[in-house]
Amino acid sequence: MPIQINMSVKGKEYAPFTVTVERGKIKEFARAIGDLSPFYLDDAVGRASEWGDIIAPPTFAVTFRDENADTAVMLRDLGVDIGRILHGEQEFEHYRPIRPDETYLCRSRVRDIYEKSGRSGPMAFVVREMAVTDGENEIVCLVRSITVVRL
Amino acid sequence: MRYAKIYFEDLQPGDAMPALVKPPIQQIQLTRYAGASGDFNPIHQDDAFAKAAGMGGVFAHGMLSMGFVAQSVTDWLGVGQVHRISVRFAALVRLGDVITCRGKVLEKRPAKNGGEQHQVDLELWAENQKGEKVVTGRATVTLPSRG
Repeated sequence: MPIQINMSVKGKEYAPFTVTVERGKIKEFARAIGDLSPFYLDDAVGRASEWGDIIAPPTFAVTFRDENADTAVMLRDLGVDIGRILHGEQEFEHYRPIRPDETYLCRSRVRDIYEKSGRSGPMAFVVREMAVTDGENEIVCLVRSITVVRL
Repeated sequence: MRYAKIYFEDLQPGDAMPALVKPPIQQIQLTRYAGASGDFNPIHQDDAFAKAAGMGGVFAHGMLSMGFVAQSVTDWLGVGQVHRISVRFAALVRLGDVITCRGKVLEKRPAKNGGEQHQVDLELWAENQKGEKVVTGRATVTLPSRG
């Protein structure tokens, strides 16, 4: 018997939150992937680069989380256990690199929820988008994701 | 070549990206990625939890594989130039799997109106040691011109 999810979460906007990027967090993230580019890891190389500092790898914005706007909150809203979800799709659209010591505003919302049947039975697809802007209110990146719920 | 400067004029549609072969996936890397990313879903850490959830055991974060795919692009074309990268997670990555990232140039788009935003579109994928695609994707990368 498939589970029911709370479809009214569609369109929900989460409370905006700020993130200040820590230098060590960029390095920890790059090392966890095994990407040892000196532009992520070496402060001297960063200082000499066109950006004047180290920058973050292209997928780093996935670390921008907030306890009032993260996957755990979404799962609670949907009424779904964490063991039922899979990552379906992910996209990052960058307008400039993410740098340490900068503070960004993150605004996250559920753009769509739809259900369809796949090889492994009925599934729901939850489409989220997070806009990341800087102190001048300029867009830094857009993060889109699709979470698959096994119903 | 790693971290070499590649110009817009150097690439043609159909050109293959150098393959990036990553070391075998180990549990410690998934634990490290959990800490670095903040994704502590036990399905990537706790074999009993993953089995009880019907997944047959732990598997890697999709975002770790996407990190590999992004690295394959930046190793080739340089950091700080990926405008867009998107992926679909096609199959689970298990402990011991050896992931190879591959890609090719789909299209070149010269800057409009004398601008500097020369871009190339790439097709990307990652496969396991059996040749099964675990990630498929696309990227748009901004490149300098020799002018």
